[in-house]
Amino acid sequence: MAELAGILGADRLSDEHGTPVLTPRDAAEVSTLLEAASKTGLALVIRGGGTKTSWRPTPTRCDAILSTAALAGIVDRQPGDMTLVAQAGTPLAALQAAVTGDTTHRQRLMLDGVGGEAATLGGILATRAAGPRRQRYGTPRDIVIGARYVTGDGLAAKTGGTVVKNVAGYDLAKLLIGSQGSLAVITEVSLKLHPVPDVARTVVLQTTDAAAVAAFVAAVRTAAITATVFDVRWPEGIVAIRIESTPDGAAAQVELLEEFAQLEELSPEAGDALLEDHLNFPFTGAGAVLGVGVRPEHLPTLLAAVAAVDGQFFGRAMLVAGDIVLPDLDPERIGRIVQALRDLGGNVQARRGDETHRLAAHTAAPGVAMVEAAIKQQLDPAGVLV
Amino acid sequence: MAVAETTSALLVAAQARDIVGPDWVVTDGAQLRVYECDGLMNHRTVPGAVILPGTTEQVAAVVRLCHEHRVPFVARGAGSGLSGGALPTEDGIVIGLSRLREVLDVDAANQRVRVQPGVTNLRVSEVAAPFGLYYAPDPSSQQVCTIGGNLAENSGGAHCLKYGFTVNHVLTASVVLSDGTIVELGSEAPDAPGLDLLGVVIGSEGTVGIVTEALLNLLPKPEHVETLVAMFPSTETAGDAVSAIIAEGVVPAAVEMMDRLAIDAAKTQTPITWDTEAALIVELDGPAREVRQQFEAVTAICKRCGADAVQVAASPDERQTIWRARKSAFAAVGQLSPAYLVQDGVIPRTRLPEVLNGIRALADEAGLRVANVFHAGDGNLHPLVLYDNAVEGEQAKAEAIAMRIVELCVDFGGSITGEHGVGIEKVCSMPKMFTGDDLTAFDRVRSAFDPVGLCNPGKLLPTPRLCGEVPGFYHAHPVETAGLGERM
Repeated sequence: MAELAGILGADRLSDEHGTPVLTPRDAAEVSTLLEAASKTGLALVIRGGGTKTSWRPTPTRCDAILSTAALAGIVDRQPGDMTLVAQAGTPLAALQAAVTGDTTHRQRLMLDGVGGEAATLGGILATRAAGPRRQRYGTPRDIVIGARYVTGDGLAAKTGGTVVKNVAGYDLAKLLIGSQGSLAVITEVSLKLHPVPDVARTVVLQTTDAAAVAAFVAAVRTAAITATVFDVRWPEGIVAIRIESTPDGAAAQVELLEEFAQLEELSPEAGDALLEDHLNFPFTGAGAVLGVGVRPEHLPTLLAAVAAVDGQFFGRAMLVAGDIVLPDLDPERIGRIVQALRDLGGNVQARRGDETHRLAAHTAAPGVAMVEAAIKQQLDPAGVLV
Repeated sequence: MAVAETTSALLVAAQARDIVGPDWVVTDGAQLRVYECDGLMNHRTVPGAVILPGTTEQVAAVVRLCHEHRVPFVARGAGSGLSGGALPTEDGIVIGLSRLREVLDVDAANQRVRVQPGVTNLRVSEVAAPFGLYYAPDPSSQQVCTIGGNLAENSGGAHCLKYGFTVNHVLTASVVLSDGTIVELGSEAPDAPGLDLLGVVIGSEGTVGIVTEALLNLLPKPEHVETLVAMFPSTETAGDAVSAIIAEGVVPAAVEMMDRLAIDAAKTQTPITWDTEAALIVELDGPAREVRQQFEAVTAICKRCGADAVQVAASPDERQTIWRARKSAFAAVGQLSPAYLVQDGVIPRTRLPEVLNGIRALADEAGLRVANVFHAGDGNLHPLVLYDNAVEGEQAKAEAIAMRIVELCVDFGGSITGEHGVGIEKVCSMPKMFTGDDLTAFDRVRSAFDPVGLCNPGKLLPTPRLCGEVPGFYHAHPVETAGLGERM
């Protein structure tokens, strides 16, 4: 550890409840640090804003935390090409403010700030976190066009580039997104930007009838509607749709939605607040939280299963994906909902609670596990990144 | 009895007869020649044998044989790829997937379709059409190119500006790994735990495994489509219009540009009357009133940026004519020149005028003609270098110019390939875009999938044998790894 601190200088080493925190200044320092850690057999945990540390099981070993806090700032922004390159430790909120603050170009980064103000770009990628806007814009894998990273043994490399279309080499950004920092430290990210639409209108359907929600979703699915957000909050029975378009385009789509159900339109502020609430609610309270995904046809079954364990669902009604928030950490309750989702062929990932991690632990099929282990061995041969 | 000389490839072929049936193993010289190249016709190698399996299990069994005998193999779909990704090795096996062409299931309620890899891209949209759905990726070769090849290349097409690439539309894939293991990657539901291996397999150009089945996402057909062709006095002014459209906040379904030479070529194939230096095709789709409002804005922008005329497609037939002109441009260039090479560079869209000037200078210097067809919205250029293969040295000159064009794209912050892939064609340009460490990391991931190096060797990553010494990057040949030989 003294050696690692020596590499960075004393001012880059701090202490957090007895665990050393290392804060490298750039990718070169990350590389030197990881190469040294590889040789000495240390175990490091990467941390961005620290907002989603509960999304992974508590590490069994942690000799030090590698903080990306000093890897911050915009490297390049090209409004004409609608691209942005930023260091991975930059808080997403700061990036968003810089992009939307440029009122000449009216652009936006279409990643949702899952985890709040402190959430960093790198953390959003590492956890593959996505919010309501994924209905239209997808998840980080659809928005990232390139990345720089440092492998567990210190190799500093690049994948992709800064142009929106590019198939040269393997798309290793896909591999790093969602890898929970287990393969490499992401140091820099290239992203697509999107135009801010002329108008945004948010309408809400209120019903506690799961079949009615499903019928509404099915009707909208094949209609001439391009929703930016299509969220459901259950068992409260709130379905929120955001339409972003030209003034005429938005009006036409809202009219069409109103043909399917009786809706209430929210003010722009109330619409924003509702979506913020959907993003933030899973981070409040202390009960178990699960990230889930099921096939579109299983939406009503999912809603019923959530209600049956006294849980709440905040998620995307058409895709279907989102968070289940339980009132406590009762293993029996967690076990029941995990089983219900698996019976549907759905995906479950623990977001909070050690017991949740145990009960929702994923086992890859043998062939897949073999490839995953081989990739880990290739990119982090000494097992530095835990 | 004299023992006939036999290669490992022929040994695999002989044993494969029991797996796929004798009719589906090709070892006859004349028949093998069919497989000697793909759409990159200036590279040809006759394979050791061709095997045509009829099921995923047969693919796996054939790959296991290759693995057992250490015989390299390459998967082949329609063979329409333009970077030589399906080019065989002479000691290797071609695993042809043309028999795997079933549409297995259309799930309209969940908007997805399960297909075998030999199904053509266009057929997916055809089977989805009765449900009001379609498959978004639409490479120009969509009538012939197959889904297996689309996954290997991460194919795009004219409409990927708005809708993304193959990787954004595949939910799951069955993949036969290099040792014959069958794995299911991806998930029918969102947010699968574990690594996104599917994201690596798509676009891996057949170097990490063979896709034998895929579940594809379908989209509802847009309510309304509008298409225009704007005639500009120069590619620069047309480029300005593209930037202005994007700055307006419009995301067109497609923005395509053709220069005069490309237009002249297209005229030989389609009834178009365009007479201009640069034609800009803009297509908008979506909810009708949104499209109409944006289309008005786009039309006004084209005029403001100097378009001499704007033709709007008044019917689906007229729209089809416009797209036929655009999609036939590559083949049509064959009417203007005995031979040509297609390139596939990408640049940041805003650098278009500088790069076009650079291309012009390179063409003039070489005394060759270059026709330009672009996906202008996303900066993907397809310069077509025209040459006469009967003139000695002209092919080499054309190849050199084509390489310098893609490398020029890299100089402007772009990429050597936007959709055709690296294959064999651009493998030696990879070090221009990536450092030795970047390539080492790629190679490590490749080794994780294919430790022996049997899966489409020589493609995607440069090797010293093909490209000379690549600084800081060393890729051991399987023969070396096995201790059977060493580098001179």
